[in-house]
Amino acid sequence: MNNFWTTFTHTASRRLKSKAFIFATGIMALLIIGILNLNNILGNFESEETEDTPNIAVVDETENGGQFGAMLESMEDGSYNYVHFPDGSVDDAIEEASGEDYEYALALFGHPSDLQAEFYGEGSDFRVGQEVNQDVQRAKETLVTSELDLNEEELAMIFNPVTFSELPLSEQGEVQTQESHMQAYWMVYGLVFAIYLIVITFGSMIATEVATEKSSRVMELIVSSVNPVTQMLGKLMGIGLAGMVNLTILAGAVWLGSYMSGEEFLQMIFTEVIDYSLIIYALVFIILGYFVYGGIAAMLGALVSRAEEVNQAIQPLIFLAMIAFFISMYGLNAPDTMFIQALSYIPFFTPQLLFLRIGMGTVPISEVTLIIAILVISAILINVLAARIYKGGVLMYGKFSFKNGIKQALKISKKEN
Amino acid sequence: MTLEINHLKKRFDEHQAVDDISLSVNKGDMFGMLGANGAGKTTTFRMIFGLIDPTAGSVTWDKDRLSYKRTHLVGYLPEERGLFPKLTVKEQLIYLMRLNNMKKPDILREMRHWLDRFQVPEYENKKIEELSKGNQQKIQFMAAVIHKPELLILDEPFSGLDPVNSDMLKEAVLDIQKQGTTIVFSSHQMRNVEELCEDLIMLKRGKAVLQGNLKTIKRSYGMKSISIRADYDLDFLHSVPGVLSLDKRKDGAIVKVESEDIAESIFHHIAKKGFVRKFEVEEPSLHDIFIDKAGEDAHE
Repeated sequence: MNNFWTTFTHTASRRLKSKAFIFATGIMALLIIGILNLNNILGNFESEETEDTPNIAVVDETENGGQFGAMLESMEDGSYNYVHFPDGSVDDAIEEASGEDYEYALALFGHPSDLQAEFYGEGSDFRVGQEVNQDVQRAKETLVTSELDLNEEELAMIFNPVTFSELPLSEQGEVQTQESHMQAYWMVYGLVFAIYLIVITFGSMIATEVATEKSSRVMELIVSSVNPVTQMLGKLMGIGLAGMVNLTILAGAVWLGSYMSGEEFLQMIFTEVIDYSLIIYALVFIILGYFVYGGIAAMLGALVSRAEEVNQAIQPLIFLAMIAFFISMYGLNAPDTMFIQALSYIPFFTPQLLFLRIGMGTVPISEVTLIIAILVISAILINVLAARIYKGGVLMYGKFSFKNGIKQALKISKKEN
Repeated sequence: MTLEINHLKKRFDEHQAVDDISLSVNKGDMFGMLGANGAGKTTTFRMIFGLIDPTAGSVTWDKDRLSYKRTHLVGYLPEERGLFPKLTVKEQLIYLMRLNNMKKPDILREMRHWLDRFQVPEYENKKIEELSKGNQQKIQFMAAVIHKPELLILDEPFSGLDPVNSDMLKEAVLDIQKQGTTIVFSSHQMRNVEELCEDLIMLKRGKAVLQGNLKTIKRSYGMKSISIRADYDLDFLHSVPGVLSLDKRKDGAIVKVESEDIAESIFHHIAKKGFVRKFEVEEPSLHDIFIDKAGEDAHE
């Protein structure tokens, strides 16, 4: 136990104190804060260039005789400044829009009940057309209702929204509302992505650390005083702790970034989108997933003799993580299919897929317990096997090959009498 | 406190790495393990402190297996030297010695003592990769002895050292032995073994081909070496039965013969030829015995 702590603290402190770790974490945190505040930063540049809202030259050739133009001009809350040309022709307006004062031209024809609008403009912003369309629609609704002489009450009767509530069929059931769907969607997406990143970065970190100790041949000295199994677990946990610190700092950066940005959308994510009961599951799955994939990474690191071969050795692990990633992406849109349900029992996919199923649908608690039990047991088995191979592997030097490497490592570490 | 090895065997598939070795080393003794590369020395060492399990037989220290609970009693200098290249001498030794249950202040005290002794106190905060090979080896040696082990295993301790450092290390080994540490060491350099060991074992393809007290072995070893100086050609000695080899020198030859009887007959042959400036029958050097017993392997 003593040696476990020595290895654990040594590994963790070497990681945490390393310049690479400090810089990588710092830069990532700054990047996150920066991206979350991108709108503010870009806003600062933009506000200097175009202070005014774009001007739109409006020509009203409807049968109402200029009422639409006047109404659009009187709209003050919109994102555009409509200017009515009471006597102008469409060509005049287009000419104006080609000049400096106006960016767009809008021509209106026909009867109010069958209004036609032509919008002339240039540029890359596709939203402009939509927004102008909405403004015209609003102007038309106002005009037509006032023409029909409807009073407030009658208006309210038309425009009051429907009270629409979604309820489950049975008492235990759950209905996927848009809100809860989006909530789960982003949480699952985030976790799947996090596990993928963790496997790729920490998997290769573990394997590289083991291979480096092997290639510098200090490994033989270490395993002469520490049980390789203890050493492997100490290393796994030590790097895991460094990883947790890293994740915590990045999560802190996300929080700080969105707090600074003051954007409602981001703050809404914290208050409404994140389901904190899912966070517990997420942590459990991240930790278990780390042990499943980390144990294998340590084993693969022990099979190579030189740090340069690590990338080749951990290839299968990365593929596994990628497959899990793509299956989960598919599963986000079909969480209840048999395919996803069956695959969620496989330990390599359980962290992502079971979380997906819990988040996006309902999984009976008995099934959750069963699958997590399978995951825990396989994490233990994988680490026991990995430790066996690790024990033999660290004494083994030569060309890297999976099949022979594993065979030979098991041979060296064979338990006899 | 004795190191007891009983009928130790280790088999990797088809390859018998260690084949039925038995030996015992008493407290405070220095024991030599000789053998060509691949003879099974390192595998035996690894079995001594339980890094790999034997196929059959047993290894005990003080009547008990050296499990990981007791590895701090053992010091190990592996043949393949290795330290953390990016760590300083101090960081390195603190980590490695902590694994041997030592406390930090004790580690620092012992480390400084040894750095002074090896006349390199300025290396305390240097990274290993900045040190020369010979100096790295001094640190490697410190990593094997700082925790004052009861049993010290040195795998090729003198390889790659210049004569000055080699002597410095040899002195250190002898001092440690005087303090009561039991030492097992392997070497290709027979001169070192002859100087340091009382008892030895010689391995060839996992088997013990020679074992026992060095003096007894030499005295009872049939093969003799004759140093001859004469003014005429000694090539005719090839035809004398019992002559193993003839190594011509500037003004004579070294002749290896099967036994002392043959030496006598050679003396008669030469006396017939003419005047002999020198005729000396020597006990074989360990080098000769090694070549004789383990030679085939060494040339593979």
